[in-house]
Amino acid sequence: MKRTWFPAVMVVAFVAAACTGGGDGGESPGGNGTTGVEHIILWQGYGAPTQPGETPNREADSMRALVEEFNTTHPNISVEIINYNNDNALAKLTVALQAGEPPDVTYQYGSSMPQLAAAPGIVDLTSRVEASGFDWNDFYPGEREAATVDGRVLGIPALVDNLAIVYNKDLFDKAGLSYPTPDWTWDDFRTAAKALTDPATKTFGFAFPADASEDSVWHYDAMLWEAGGDILNADNTAAAFDSPAGVTALQALADMAVTDKSVYMDFQNTKIAGLFNSNKIGMAVTGPWDLPSFPNVNYGVQIMPMFPGGDHQTIAGPDNWVLFDNGAARLDAAWTFVSWLTAPEQVLTDSLVTGHLPIRQSVTQLPTFDRFATKFPGVDVFVANLANVQKARPVLKAYPRISEAMGQAIIAAMTGEKSPQQALADAAQQVNDILAIPA
Amino acid sequence: MGRLRRALASDHVAGWAFIGPAVLLIGVFGILPIVWGLVLSFQKSDLIDPNTPFVGLTNYRALAHDHVLRIAAGHTLVYTGVFVPVSVIGALFVAVALNRKIHLIRFYRTAVFVPVVASTIATSIMFLWLFDAQYGLANWLLGKIGVGPFGFFDSPRGALYAIIAMTVWGWVGFDVIIYLAALQGIPHELVEAAEIDGASRWSIFRSITVPLLGPATLLLVVWSSINALQLFDEVYFVTHGGPPPYNTAVVVWWLFSLAFRLGAAGYAAAIAYVLFLAILVLTMVQFWVGNKVVHYSS
Repeated sequence: MKRTWFPAVMVVAFVAAACTGGGDGGESPGGNGTTGVEHIILWQGYGAPTQPGETPNREADSMRALVEEFNTTHPNISVEIINYNNDNALAKLTVALQAGEPPDVTYQYGSSMPQLAAAPGIVDLTSRVEASGFDWNDFYPGEREAATVDGRVLGIPALVDNLAIVYNKDLFDKAGLSYPTPDWTWDDFRTAAKALTDPATKTFGFAFPADASEDSVWHYDAMLWEAGGDILNADNTAAAFDSPAGVTALQALADMAVTDKSVYMDFQNTKIAGLFNSNKIGMAVTGPWDLPSFPNVNYGVQIMPMFPGGDHQTIAGPDNWVLFDNGAARLDAAWTFVSWLTAPEQVLTDSLVTGHLPIRQSVTQLPTFDRFATKFPGVDVFVANLANVQKARPVLKAYPRISEAMGQAIIAAMTGEKSPQQALADAAQQVNDILAIPA
Repeated sequence: MGRLRRALASDHVAGWAFIGPAVLLIGVFGILPIVWGLVLSFQKSDLIDPNTPFVGLTNYRALAHDHVLRIAAGHTLVYTGVFVPVSVIGALFVAVALNRKIHLIRFYRTAVFVPVVASTIATSIMFLWLFDAQYGLANWLLGKIGVGPFGFFDSPRGALYAIIAMTVWGWVGFDVIIYLAALQGIPHELVEAAEIDGASRWSIFRSITVPLLGPATLLLVVWSSINALQLFDEVYFVTHGGPPPYNTAVVVWWLFSLAFRLGAAGYAAAIAYVLFLAILVLTMVQFWVGNKVVHYSS
C-alpha cells in the first residue's frame, strides 16, 4: 500500500501547487487590503542602477531615487521597479499581454503607440489629463501628439529629445577648422567631416548608426524634412520619401560615407558614444541623452545644418508612460505615481541628474532651471532646438514595416550597394505594397 | 473502496505518478506552445490586439513572396553547411589531441570547454570588440603578420563567416566532450592489435578510431544541424541581421523580427512551422543515411 500511496499524493500536491501558482501571479503581491498599501509594478528601460565601480548610469539612478522618494512620501503606495532595455520594451510587453499580466506603468517608445492602442487593458487617460490641475497643455505639442492615437490620450510623455550636431572642439582646433555655425549647410558639414577624417589615427569626421534600425531612419528623417520631403503622402496611403528631396538628403549621406569615406558606420549601433568619448569622432548627430557619456571630450552643440534654400529642422522622439488597468485601486495608485513623476518639480529634479530635456514647458520658468545649462554644457541648444521640430513621423500601425524598408534603403545607399535613387525607389515600392494591405 | 485501493496499488498509477511532473512541464512549456503556434499560423495577429481573425492559408501563401525570407533561408543553409562539418571535424581532432596522458591535460580540457559554459551574450560582446574592423585586436594581430584588415561583422560578404567562426569557437567544446567520452570507449586491444600488425598511427585513426566514433559522429551531426538551423542569439545580438541589407539574416532571426518588431506574429508562426518541418525531414534523412553508414560495435 505504501508503495503507491506516496507518489499519488505527490502528483496531487504538485498539480495543486502548479494551479495555485498560476493563479497567484495575477494578484498584486502587496495589494491584499489588510495593510492598505497598493503595490504597483513600474517597467522602466534605463537599465539597472549604477553598481560601485561602474560607469554611472545616471538615468537609472535618477529613476530609482525618484521612486524611492515617492514611496517615502506616499506610504499608501509602493512602486516596484523592473529594469529592462527600452529597445525591448514592446517585445516584453507583448509577452506580458499574452500572459494577461501587464505592468501597471511601462515606458514605451512613441512609435509603438499605434500598435498599443489595440492592447487589452490599456488605459484611456483623456479625461484624467483634461482634469484641472494636471495642465496637459504644459507638455510640448509634439509630445502630446505622440501620446494621442485617434483622439485618445494613451500615454503621458516620459521623455522628449531631438537631434543636433555634437562636435569635438579639440579635433576641430587640431584640423584648423572653425566650429559649426547656425547657418551651416550640409556642404559645410561634408567639408568639415572630410577634413576631420584621418585614416592614420582612425579618426572619422562623422559617425552614423548603420544597423538599419529606426535609429538610422530618424537620423535620415530630419534631413528628408529639411530638404522639403516627407515620409508618406498627406493621407498616409503611399510613400513620398522617394521624391527628389529624399534623394538629395540620402545623396548627402552617401557622398560622405561612400565618396569621402568620412563616416564611421556603426553597423551594430553600439560603439558611437564610446568612440566619440575617445576623441575618435569629429561630429555626431545625436540627442541630449548622450551628453553625460562624453566626460572626456571638450564638446560643443550646434543645430542641424540645412540644405540650400531649406530651413533648420530636427526630429523629436517623444516616449511615453503607458498605463494598464489591473483593477481600479491599482490604476488610481499608478495614476497618482505618474502624475507625480511628470509634475514640474520632479521633471526638473530628473533633468538636473540626467541631462534629459524638460518635458514640460513650465519647467524652464522654475527658479533653479538655470543650473541645467551650467551642469550640462550645450543642453540649452537642445532645449531651443525643440522649436525646430516641425514634423512628426506618421502615427500608423504599419510604421515599423515602413521603417524597416527605409532603414535598409538608407544603409544600402551609404554602403554604395545601391544608388540613393535606386535604394529609395525600391523601398517606396515595398512601402506601397505594405500600405496597400487593408489593415 | 476496495476497487479504488486496487487501482491505486497498480503499477499504472505509480508509473504515471512518476512521470506526472515531467508530462506536466513538457505539456505546458512544450506541447501547448506548439499547438498554439499552429493555431497562430492560421491567424492574423500582432500579439497585442486581442482581435485575431482566422485567415486560412494566407500566411503560408505569403511565404513565397517574402524576399527577406529567401535571403535568410540561403544564409541558414550556408551557415549549417559550414558550421556542422567544421565544428564536428574540428572537435574530432581536438578530442584526439586531448585524449592522452600529458601534463596539465585537465587544464586543456577545461579550457576547451569553457566557451560552452560562458553565456552567448558575454562571448558576443567579447567578439564585437575583438573583431572590430577599426580598433579590434584581431585585425591588429593579423596586421602584424601582414594579413587584413578584415571587416568581420561589418563586411557584407564576411559577416556570416565571422559569425561561423564565433559560434564554432563557442560550441566546439561540447562536441569535444562527446568525442572524448566516445574515445575512452574504444577497446584498447583493437588499437594494440593494429600496432602489433605494424599499422601507422594515421591508418589506426582512419580505420579504427573514426569508424568506432560513428555513433558519436551521427549524434553530433544531427544535434549540430538542428542547432545551426535555429541560429538566433549571435545574429540578434551581434549583427542585427546586418550589415544591411540582411547580410547575416537567418530564418529564426527574421521570424523573431516579424513577430516582435514588425507586428506579423501569425505569419512568423507559419515560418516557424515550415522550419520545424524542414528540420524534422532533415533529421529523418540524417538518421536514415547514418544508420546505413554507422557501425555500432555492440
